[in-house]
Amino acid sequence: MKRTNIYSIILLIIVFFASCQDLNLNPLYYGSSENWYSSEEELEMSVNGLYRSVFWSRAEDSWDDDFQSRATVSSITGGTINGESSEVKTLWANSYKAIARANVLLKNTEKARKLGISEKKVKQYAAEALFIRAAQYANLVAYFGDIVYVDRDITIDEAFSMSRTNKDTVMQKVYADFDSAVVDLPISYSENEIGRATKGAAYALKARYALYNGDWSIAADAAKSCMDLGIYTLHSNYASLFLASTKKSSESILVFPRSVEFNSLVYAPGTVQAFLPRNRGGFASRYPSLELFCSYLCTDGKPIDESPLFDSKNPFKNRDPRCTATIVEFNTMHLGVVYDPNPKTITVTNYLTGKSISNKDSKGVDQYASYNGLLLKKGIDEAWVNSNTYKVDPDLIYIRLADVLLIYAEAKIENDDIDQSVLDAINAVRARAYGVSVTSSSYPKITTTDQTELRKIIRFERRMEFAFEGLRYMDIIRWKIADKVLNRPNYGLLDKTQLISLVNNGYWFFGQIPEVDEDAAVDFSNLYNNGFIKLIVQRSFNADRNYLWPIPSKEILINNNLIQNPNY
Amino acid sequence: MKISFEKHKMNSINSSGIYPVPFKMVILFLMLFVTCFFSTISAQNEKITLKLKNKTLSEVINEIEVKSGYSFLVRNNDVNLKEIVSIEVVNKSIEEILTQLFKQRQISFEIMGKSVSVFKPQKNQDGSPTRHTRKITGYVTDSNGDPVIGATVIELSTKNGTITDIGGAFVLEVSEKSIVQVSYIGYTPAEIKIGNQNNLTIRLKESTKILDELVVIGYGTIKKKDLTGAVTTISSENITNRKTTQLSTALQGAMSGVMVTRNSNEPGSTGTIKVRGITTISNSDPLVIVDGVPASINDINPNDVENISVLKDAASAAIYGARAASGVIVVTTKRAESDKLSINYTFEQGIDMVSKDPQSVDVKRFMEMANELTWNDAGNGNDKYPLYSDYTIQNYNQLHAENPDLYPDTDWRSLILNKYASKQSHIFGISGGTKAVRTKVGIVYDKIGGLYQNKDYERLTLRVNNDFVINKFISAALDVNFKQSNNTNPISDPMDRVRIAAPVYAALWQDGRIGEGKSGDNAYAALMYGGISTNRYNQFGGKLSLSVTPLENLKFTAIVSPTLNYEKGKSFTQKINYTAASDATNIIGTISGHSATSLIEKRNDINYITTQFLGNYNKETKAGNFNAMVGYESYYYFNESLSASRDQYELSSYPYLDNGPLELRDNSGNAYEIAYQSVFGRLIYSYKSKYLFQANLRYDASSRFAPEYRWGAFPSFSTGWVISEENFMKDIPVLSYLKIRGSWGSLGNERIGTYPYQSTIIFTSGIFYQGTTKVSKLTAAQQQFAIRDITWETTETFDVGVDLNFFKNKLKLTADYYQKTTKDMLLAIEIPDYIGYENPDQNTGRMYTKGFDFELGWNDKIGNWRYGASFNLSDFRSIMGDLGGTEFLGNQIKKEGSEYNEWYGYVSNGLFQTSEEVSQSAKLNDNTKPGDIKYVDLSGPDGIPDGKISPEYDRVLLGGSLPRFMYGGVISGGYKEFDISVTMQGIGKQLVNTYNMAVPYSQGWGNMPKNIDGKYWSVNNTAEQNLKAEYPRLTRTGVENNYILSDFWLKDGSYFRLKNITLSYTYAVPADISKNIGINRIKGYISGTDLFSIDNYPTGWDPELGGMSSYPVTSSVVAGISINL
Repeated sequence: MKRTNIYSIILLIIVFFASCQDLNLNPLYYGSSENWYSSEEELEMSVNGLYRSVFWSRAEDSWDDDFQSRATVSSITGGTINGESSEVKTLWANSYKAIARANVLLKNTEKARKLGISEKKVKQYAAEALFIRAAQYANLVAYFGDIVYVDRDITIDEAFSMSRTNKDTVMQKVYADFDSAVVDLPISYSENEIGRATKGAAYALKARYALYNGDWSIAADAAKSCMDLGIYTLHSNYASLFLASTKKSSESILVFPRSVEFNSLVYAPGTVQAFLPRNRGGFASRYPSLELFCSYLCTDGKPIDESPLFDSKNPFKNRDPRCTATIVEFNTMHLGVVYDPNPKTITVTNYLTGKSISNKDSKGVDQYASYNGLLLKKGIDEAWVNSNTYKVDPDLIYIRLADVLLIYAEAKIENDDIDQSVLDAINAVRARAYGVSVTSSSYPKITTTDQTELRKIIRFERRMEFAFEGLRYMDIIRWKIADKVLNRPNYGLLDKTQLISLVNNGYWFFGQIPEVDEDAAVDFSNLYNNGFIKLIVQRSFNADRNYLWPIPSKEILINNNLIQNPNY
Repeated sequence: MKISFEKHKMNSINSSGIYPVPFKMVILFLMLFVTCFFSTISAQNEKITLKLKNKTLSEVINEIEVKSGYSFLVRNNDVNLKEIVSIEVVNKSIEEILTQLFKQRQISFEIMGKSVSVFKPQKNQDGSPTRHTRKITGYVTDSNGDPVIGATVIELSTKNGTITDIGGAFVLEVSEKSIVQVSYIGYTPAEIKIGNQNNLTIRLKESTKILDELVVIGYGTIKKKDLTGAVTTISSENITNRKTTQLSTALQGAMSGVMVTRNSNEPGSTGTIKVRGITTISNSDPLVIVDGVPASINDINPNDVENISVLKDAASAAIYGARAASGVIVVTTKRAESDKLSINYTFEQGIDMVSKDPQSVDVKRFMEMANELTWNDAGNGNDKYPLYSDYTIQNYNQLHAENPDLYPDTDWRSLILNKYASKQSHIFGISGGTKAVRTKVGIVYDKIGGLYQNKDYERLTLRVNNDFVINKFISAALDVNFKQSNNTNPISDPMDRVRIAAPVYAALWQDGRIGEGKSGDNAYAALMYGGISTNRYNQFGGKLSLSVTPLENLKFTAIVSPTLNYEKGKSFTQKINYTAASDATNIIGTISGHSATSLIEKRNDINYITTQFLGNYNKETKAGNFNAMVGYESYYYFNESLSASRDQYELSSYPYLDNGPLELRDNSGNAYEIAYQSVFGRLIYSYKSKYLFQANLRYDASSRFAPEYRWGAFPSFSTGWVISEENFMKDIPVLSYLKIRGSWGSLGNERIGTYPYQSTIIFTSGIFYQGTTKVSKLTAAQQQFAIRDITWETTETFDVGVDLNFFKNKLKLTADYYQKTTKDMLLAIEIPDYIGYENPDQNTGRMYTKGFDFELGWNDKIGNWRYGASFNLSDFRSIMGDLGGTEFLGNQIKKEGSEYNEWYGYVSNGLFQTSEEVSQSAKLNDNTKPGDIKYVDLSGPDGIPDGKISPEYDRVLLGGSLPRFMYGGVISGGYKEFDISVTMQGIGKQLVNTYNMAVPYSQGWGNMPKNIDGKYWSVNNTAEQNLKAEYPRLTRTGVENNYILSDFWLKDGSYFRLKNITLSYTYAVPADISKNIGINRIKGYISGTDLFSIDNYPTGWDPELGGMSSYPVTSSVVAGISINL
């Protein structure tokens, strides 16, 4: 008996030691908000978090009429967008995440001061938070109209009692945030500082969104302030500005680096391939639209349906240089291989190997060659192939000086406040495209001061300058021309046999010249009716509802205070 | 101990040499380990040395037992065990020793297998031993046909006897016309008159005392008659009969109230188990307890399982309190049952074949349909051949024959899939021991091949269970288990492409080079040359328990059970170039997904440890039986993972990180931990086995909650009344047993994230310019809105049940009805996105579940025929109460009044037939055309139809998504040595979403599903044909209108499946032969699994096929042979 008691005691001792299991476990590899914002490093990390790429997405190429991808349409160009569409849910949720983080940061500035962080730093962090909040709200307004405005930490109950705020009220707060931010943001960052928001970026984005909102003088003033900082200059060569090798150009005002090494890419490799020629392992499935191609002016400054310089057999000749900088000219070398979509060109030369190869970029060889014969050139060079890994890291330029100049000009034109500075701004952009000085006579200089004429010029100029930079979608929305351009079908080349007979009859590349209107919009119906081109896919845009995006369905369904945008 | 399976190729894990240590070495190591362990306790078959002086015969026999591993049975009392003897032998066999020992004492002995019978021969009056005897062999089974091990077989006249071996067989020398009695605990003793038969099969009937059988419950066992909760059990035979590799899938349809969904069908795949449906919104997986400690069900080999109990109601599960809300599965593994040594080896060989699989149209129909689809989307009147010309389509066979590179006709399916995949298993078991130590060893090796290249699953499991009796106060158990599994997969899984790749793309050029496929999308090339991914999972676990019995009825047990898991994965993606059809030197591009050679290595460590201390007090008095148990338990779990990679390798033959470029390296790592502490207790009282009562209480604390909200109390009560024990019921002849049961209990759940009460700061990387240099900086942000007072969710369950047996327990019926209420549900309900945080977990809302379980069984025997049948059926329905919000899950929803994850979508009204109809109707978008699905305008912002179909106002609840009326059944029969068993399983009612089964031209170039051909709305049809169309027009631009959830796509998903048929033949080796060759019993069997199903799914779709990219559902046939030594 005595022995068993000893055993029992030993057992109890073992259990006692084994039982001291601590239940106060804290995260092992991430922080806890309970004690965050307790050092300058932590504060700076939180500020850095506001620059994540998901918060700075640009409009997709597939939403506008500069772009085509075989017989596909996006939910925007197909008119199927609704509150369940992923782009709607993503933009809405991500914008508010950035806003909430900016609000938390602003709330913690007092805590930061107590930690003894320098006043200058605290102010700068607060200014960055305001800048980001303003940019996110302005973008939300541009897409959704009236939105829910939150500028502090709220409880769940408060959130359910909120409703949409008038967009003009929101924009007033946006302008105020931008103005406060400008005061404490630096003009630039030194070589050993992490580059984030600057005064210039705040002015530029304020100008952009004021223009979107029709606040002409606010837009013009902000653009002027940005130009007057004097630290941004137009990149000397339009074509090279977009290459992966051009880093942080002096033209870039707000720029986010991309990096193959850090696995932060602009496009997934499959998307990169989609832009590349089939002769170089690409899919040639995403390319510029025929409308974009035909919207480039001729070197006399006139559209192709007016200019005597336009030759429909040699459509790349005598065009604004941005045409061949954006779209691969036929019969020129692109990525080491001659690009020629002519169906009769069965072989082409690959200058990388010196061999003649089967021309998979021609409908004569491959039915999946570019459906309209065009391929994108803007920004694309050998780096895109990157030894067949298709990983490329050009800068993501969120806003650049040329945009600010054209915003300035457009705002002044719309405000009917036309002076020499307006012409100078447009001419600066156009002269750079021609690679000449603004005073040179070897480019089609703008001289007119007629408001209607200038409005037309600015629409051509923006379309030529900003193709595939995520700006065209908002332009067709704010100019209210989306219901015109997105209700026209997507056209392409005829099928092989018919195409060859067209070529044999001397109708390559175009049988006829399409009509170009004052909005730089192109109408191909005459070519289609005469059998020169083929209808690839119908597009659809409902003017009664699609100028604004719908609020995500979920937000409407859980909160009776929110009313959906009209006609969704 | 030479095991034949060394001869089989076990080191063929892969040919690329990623694991240089061959599997064989691991096996050898383990064998060595087992051998050493075993040889210390039994040196069977070896010659032994004895030096004993002046010991009793009993002591000598004990010594021989210890040294030889033989067990002795002294048949009658004539042998004087107290006789003092001396013996001295060196290196003698047991036979020689016994002959020497017994010769002088007129004692006889017989050696059968590993047992020795010792007896004093009966003498005739003249003093000579009886000579009129002969040997009979026999086989003792229970009513299920399972062998009864250790049954006593005695010749009544002589009291000669023996016991049955592990296979239920015995050999006995009997006089003519004698009577043999066979008895075993829990069974009615059988008396058999020996006629002329030499070979007997004796089936023991369970006596009413069957209810003395023990049922495993939480932290102990209980006599079945004293059970008050809803507990279902399944025995080892029923599990291994199903021939599944994973234990989880073996339970499909096996027990009422236990729903098993196969996660996939690929080699090594597992199943998801739900006990009595969904109890909670977060994680509804049941708690699995293996030999008393929490574990994962798939870590146990089905062959090691002795018994599984499922604790379904709150009263039974409540002893596991906090984590038991979704039910508890208690698994007991096999232990050595007696001192007798036995060895069993089974070899199984099987094949898997695709049973049925979704098919696509042939090349001509593909081109015709692709043309029609393109024409539909362009709305272009002139050109009805926009993709493939009429000439091409009409002459395709000839064009293909002339130039297959330009006009391919690729049969992707037969190119990629093999006709069958082979699988095999080796199952090896040893059991035996001495009075002080008993050991059971099980080793199982499985290798399951895949239906395509580079896919297989390999597993080795080892379990050694040891029991030690140290003295009369102290006993101990030491269990060790090891598992290694290897999963090999191709980097690019081809199944999706097998089903959707169109035949017009070339997998291979004419001369055998890799073809372009669809612009580089070539699943065949990616499979064959794209590299493999291997995952090796090692688990080493153990359990040490020490029991002290200070008083007769009191027992303390301390248990510590650690498990160490180590997982490593290696994915080596290889670059594949493809060249032009006409020019082998012209590299055009790379196969998609294989544009660069890259390597990812992963390591994951998971360790957990359970510590328990239990006190158990048992007292049987005239006033009733009383049992009390108290316990303490703690659990700690730690998970740490690491991953490293490099990209763009220049060489494809060195799959190691060092060989990749420095600038393209990446790595990651993270960790988390969880801990619990619990105290618990139980009281059981039974009065004359008539009135039963049980109460449980458990306190649990979890590290997931803030200290002040950490503890939860979970009580339960249950009671039972055995009406058939009452005097007034005893006269009903057909009724053998009747018990009614009732219980109430409260259970908990806390499985939501790791640190839900803390608003954690998540780190990510951002890229910035520092000057003109790119730098990566850590960024930080709070992602979730934290609710600090978050705490346990509780589920209360009422259960009433009845157990009814008729006709001397031949017919058994068990039925239960239950209601569950889940309160303070842990739920991430939707909060407005403009708060800026992700939906937080909070305690909100209720859910009400009602259901029933029903089991019916029949067992009988007519002459040499024995047969039985059992059937189970269960159903439940969960309705959401006030949740304080809604949770959207795409096509499903949880909101007040809905079922759990109810289908949520539009109401359809056929297909649009004309443009007029389109223009006059409410539409989802302007892209709608004739042939698209028409939806009903149900409401609008003002609560009345608004002329538009919108996701906000026109979606409604469309019915439950969970299966209803799940059933299963087993029919078994036997005649003499033959046994057959047929297992069935099915679902009586289910709504399934079928739109994924009907999408044409997926990705804009994929093939057309065969099941829509001829059944879709088409401009080429007549108006009458279109009225009958079952599917919408062919379109890509209309996808957002047609392939979204509506009642159009919800179809009847009920099915019946013939799960398994097994036929076996058992041959008991006659004793005289057995003596020479050492084999007691041989069993051969053949088994077919998933042979067919009856269902309403679209042609080619199996009810359990997950989707277009899932591994095919296979039928398998397995043949096996099992040998008992």
